[in-house]
Amino acid sequence: MVDLSVKRGKLILKNPIMTASGTFGYADEFEDFIDVSKLGAVVTKAISLKPRPGNSWNRVIEVTSGMINSIGLENVGVEKFIAEKLPVLREKNINFVMNLAGSGMDEYVELARICEANKIGAVELNVSCPNVKSGCLEFGTDARTLGELVKSVREVYNGCLIVKLTPNVTRIEDIGLAAQENGADAVSAINTLKGLGMKLSFKNGKFSREQVIGGFSGMAVKPVALGVVNRLKQVLEIPIIGLGGISSMQDVLEFFAVGAEAVQIGTANFTTPDISERIIDELAVFMEENGFETLDELKAVLRHFPPR
Amino acid sequence: MTIEKNKKMNKGEVTQIERVANEMFLIKIKVAADFNSRPGQFVSILCDNHTMRRPFSIMNFENGEISVLFKKKGEGTAYIACLNVGDTVDFIGPQGNGFHCAPEKTLCVGAGVGVAPVYYLKKVLGDNAKLVAGFQNENEIPFCLQSEIDFIATDDGSLGGHGSIIDYLDAQINEYKPARICVCGPHIVLKLVAEKAKQHCIPCEVAMEKTMACSIGVCRGCVVTLNRNGKIDNASVCKDGPVFLGEEIVW
Repeated sequence: MVDLSVKRGKLILKNPIMTASGTFGYADEFEDFIDVSKLGAVVTKAISLKPRPGNSWNRVIEVTSGMINSIGLENVGVEKFIAEKLPVLREKNINFVMNLAGSGMDEYVELARICEANKIGAVELNVSCPNVKSGCLEFGTDARTLGELVKSVREVYNGCLIVKLTPNVTRIEDIGLAAQENGADAVSAINTLKGLGMKLSFKNGKFSREQVIGGFSGMAVKPVALGVVNRLKQVLEIPIIGLGGISSMQDVLEFFAVGAEAVQIGTANFTTPDISERIIDELAVFMEENGFETLDELKAVLRHFPPR
Repeated sequence: MTIEKNKKMNKGEVTQIERVANEMFLIKIKVAADFNSRPGQFVSILCDNHTMRRPFSIMNFENGEISVLFKKKGEGTAYIACLNVGDTVDFIGPQGNGFHCAPEKTLCVGAGVGVAPVYYLKKVLGDNAKLVAGFQNENEIPFCLQSEIDFIATDDGSLGGHGSIIDYLDAQINEYKPARICVCGPHIVLKLVAEKAKQHCIPCEVAMEKTMACSIGVCRGCVVTLNRNGKIDNASVCKDGPVFLGEEIVW
C-alpha cells in the first residue's frame, strides 16, 4: 500500500487530489458517481455571509477546450451551510475545505469567525471577489489589500488558511508573498481567467449571438496554471495547491513537477463526474507499479531532473 | 484495482442512427439492463474533445434501447450525428424529474425537436393523451413520428394547420378538454402555452431547456427563477427540472 498523504504544516490530506470550489457543489451531489470520502478534500462552493441568488443572464458557454462561467457566486449562505450541509459532510466523513467569498474585509472576517466557532478545519479565501468598499477592485489583484485581508482573517481563524490566487495580475509572486507574510498556510492557484465566450451564427440573413463574460476554465488554461505555479514555487515556502485544467493523472504529475504539493480537479468534474476518484486510483497504481512508496518520493524525482 | 461501475454513468452502443428530417437525427442506444426512465427525463452525452456534455430528452425507452431525437446545430450535435452503428456513447442519466405520468387526460404539445419528450409521454399514457405539434415546415417533421402526431401545424402551411401550434391551442383545448397540458419546445412556446393553460385554468407542465455545464445539479449554470407561493428562488433545470409547473416559472 503506497502512502499518498500530504503533510505540509497545517495542510494535511490523505491524498493530494482535491476538488475545486464551484465544481463539486457541497459534495453530496457527487455520491451517485464516486465515493466522496476517498478524496483528499472537497472544496465547497463559495459561501458568503448572506445567501446570493447569482446572476440572471446566461451563465455558461463552452469554448475551445474549456468553458466560461458567470454564476455570480450563487450559494445558500453561511447560516444554511452550517445548519444543513455541514452535518452531512461530517457524518459522511468527508474531508472538506470551506471556500469563503466576501464583498468587504469585514465579511471575510465574520465568515472566518463563524468557521473558527464551528471548528471548520480548513478554509480557502476566494479573493477574486470585488471589494465593494474600494472601487470594486478584486482583493487578489493588489498585494497590500490582499495582505491586510489575510492578516485580518488570520487573527480570528486558527485552522488551515488557504488563499486562492487569481491569475489576472501582473506579478503573482507579490500576491503570493503577501499571503505568506501575513500568515496563510497555503495558496491555491489558479482561479479562473477572465474571458468571453461567444457563439455567433448567421441564419436567414440574420446574425444571432450568444455570449457569456466570466471565468475561463478547463483544459485550455492548464499552461497558464502550470506557469503560475512554477513562478510561485520560486518565491514561496508555504505549500502550493495547483489547479487549472487538470483532467488526468499525467496533468497531476506535471503540477507536482513544477512544485505543487496537492492539486484540485475543477471543470473536469463536469465532463467526467468520476474523474477525481479515477485519478486517485491511477496515481496509487502508478506509484505501486513503479516503486514509489510515498508521494514525497515521487515529487522529489519529478522535481530533480532538469527540464530539457 | 478495479474501478466500480456507478449507476449514473453509462456507456451504450449505437444500434441505429438516421436522419429523420432536415438536420434532425434519431439515434438509438442500447442501455444497461437495469436502466429505467420516464418521459421528460434526459441523458447527457459526452462529445469527444468537448468540455460540456450535451443534454437530450429521452424520446423513447423500449426493448433495452433509448431513442434520442436531436437537431444538428453546433459542434456537439455534429459529433453525435457522425456516430455509426456499433460506436459507444458515454452518457449520464437518466437525469431530472420528468413529467407526472398520472393517468389523466393530457394534451401533449411539442414544437420542433421538443416533440421528443411529449411523444414519449403520449406513448406511456396511451389513450389518455393527445399529441399535437408544430414545425417550421413539412421538411422539419421527423418522418418516424408523423403518423403518431394527432395534429400538426406548420408555420408555412406546407403540412397540416397553417401557423403556429399556439394558434390552434384554444380549439384543441376546447375540443379535447384535457385535465392538464404538458409541453416541450423553444422558450417562447413554453411561455405562450403556459399562458394559454392558465387562461383555461388547466395545470401545465413545461419541460425547460438550458445550456448545462454539469447536468448533475452542482454548477448552477442552468438555473431558472421560480415563484413558489410568493417565494422567489432559483432552481436548476438539470436536477430540480427539467419539468416545472408553468405557473411557477418567472418568465
